[in-house]
Amino acid sequence: MTDARLDRARRLVGRIRPYSSAHARIDALERELHQTRQLNRRVAELTDLVTELLVPLARRDDIEVDAVLERYRSMI
Amino acid sequence: MAATIAAAVTGRRTLHVDDGIAVPAEAGCVVTVAFEGRYVWSFQPGRDSRGGVVAWPAALRPRLRGVTRLTLADPADGRVHLDEEVAFGSGSDRLDLADAHGHPLAVNKVGNLTRVFGETDGAVRVEILRATARVLDDLCEHGGVGAFLSYGCLLGAVREGRMIGTDCDADVCYLSDRRSPAEVILESYRLERVMRARGWGTVRMSGGDFKVLIKLADGRTVYVDVFVGFTVGETFYLLGNRSGRLPREAVVPTTTIRLEGVELAAPADPEAVLGFVYGPHWRVPDPAFKFTDPPDGVRRLDGWLRGTREALPEWNLLFRTRGDELPRKGSAFATWVRHRVHRGDVVAELGCGLGRDAAYFARHGHPVLAYDISPDARSHTAKRLRRVHRRGGAESVVRRLVLDELRTVAVTGAEIALSAERRHLYARRLVDVVGDEARRNLWRLARTALDGGDGSLFLELAAEGPLPARPEGLSRRLDPDQVVAEIEAAGGHVLHRHLGIGRDLFDEPDPWTCRLQVTWRKP
Repeated sequence: MTDARLDRARRLVGRIRPYSSAHARIDALERELHQTRQLNRRVAELTDLVTELLVPLARRDDIEVDAVLERYRSMI
Repeated sequence: MAATIAAAVTGRRTLHVDDGIAVPAEAGCVVTVAFEGRYVWSFQPGRDSRGGVVAWPAALRPRLRGVTRLTLADPADGRVHLDEEVAFGSGSDRLDLADAHGHPLAVNKVGNLTRVFGETDGAVRVEILRATARVLDDLCEHGGVGAFLSYGCLLGAVREGRMIGTDCDADVCYLSDRRSPAEVILESYRLERVMRARGWGTVRMSGGDFKVLIKLADGRTVYVDVFVGFTVGETFYLLGNRSGRLPREAVVPTTTIRLEGVELAAPADPEAVLGFVYGPHWRVPDPAFKFTDPPDGVRRLDGWLRGTREALPEWNLLFRTRGDELPRKGSAFATWVRHRVHRGDVVAELGCGLGRDAAYFARHGHPVLAYDISPDARSHTAKRLRRVHRRGGAESVVRRLVLDELRTVAVTGAEIALSAERRHLYARRLVDVVGDEARRNLWRLARTALDGGDGSLFLELAAEGPLPARPEGLSRRLDPDQVVAEIEAAGGHVLHRHLGIGRDLFDEPDPWTCRLQVTWRKP
């Protein structure tokens, strides 16, 4: 490759590098945003477990634990 | 050769499924496809063709065998492009495109093969709508939300007072006043409980929608989808994937509309809702209609509400179409595990598939708790375990487990923990087919299930190697060091680790197979 061509190739790479780096950063941010959005479902699932399973369990005797678990399973 | 919608067809009448339908550039906007004069599918050549050819839908392809009268027509002006006998493959039998009850099937707008209203008896259509009216009543009266008819049924009601022939299900929506997606999900959970308490069967599809099952008099089950609509910021979201601007006044207070003579709850301004759902041309019939939703809205809904059914359709399809290829005898790994546990110990199999190993353990006197995400797998395994029990095997239970959903993870861990003093977890080729979050939930489940006991978690997985794991696209190879590190971080101790030749799901040799025996017992 001649020097002129080599310089041209270097300039081209120099132009592309920040562009692809920005794209990579956007991809990473989108992944992180998606993970943050997924916390909504996690919060809902945990809240549902506490209010619909743990609280009823705490109110019952041990002997009724199976029945509370069975009832919770039948409703999810 | 491909079917061609040019009027004159030359060459053989035998069609090859892979060839699709050749579409000349001058083809009209929409083409309907019929077999034996019955509607099967429709497409838009401009949108759906690739290199001048429209591929047969994936759901239809396995059924394309035999002889049929193929009609390609333009629904707008009734022009027939092609109407003649063709043969798919070399068979001489008539092509059979009916369900188990003999009802004709067609491809719906999301690509599934299903029964459409155009091929459904009028009395059955009314039966479906009366059940839909009861669903709406229960959501309003017992759920306390403003629910209304939506999507295809609302479109049919407004346009002509009849169900749309190419539509296949009834959809209802409700307006939520919750402003955060987590609260929207909790409300949807609550409504599902309300419907179950009212005696309906349900299937959860995402954090914002579930199906209500309707058993028809002819033995068929149809579904009513219950979708949420809610506003975050300035954007109104409606499940499936719609998003944009729609004033609250277009939806509530609800009114009523008549469809096939049945009165149903409708949004305050049905025309505005239909414009939001189908776009400005909603009044023009388009059997090949497909939604074009704003990508940012789809991304948000995916992140907020979805993620618990990622590969489920593929697994259901595999169990339905390739079930015969899956071995029936207990696996070598199951034999290996049986020699490491005591007779009579409970074995909880996570990801039981069609139940080959669950049946093996039950036959050898181990009470089995079998779990899977796939309803096809669970139903097959339950039948199999009932048979084993009738022949003297141990008693078993089959249940649903969604490793991506904490609710089923927690309740599964608790019920296994309470099942017996001596209990073990068994998961063959499971950790390599689930995602990272599901795998972390599996360690949580194991810790709960084995707490206070001597039992072990037995794992077999596809380890890193130069060839892809099978089934390709569903399974991936994992680094055993990473798996062990995760287990230890979750409080587990590896008692046994072996890397060598094992067998994949189809019992083909897999030279890169890792076996682990893990305990959460306090040292």
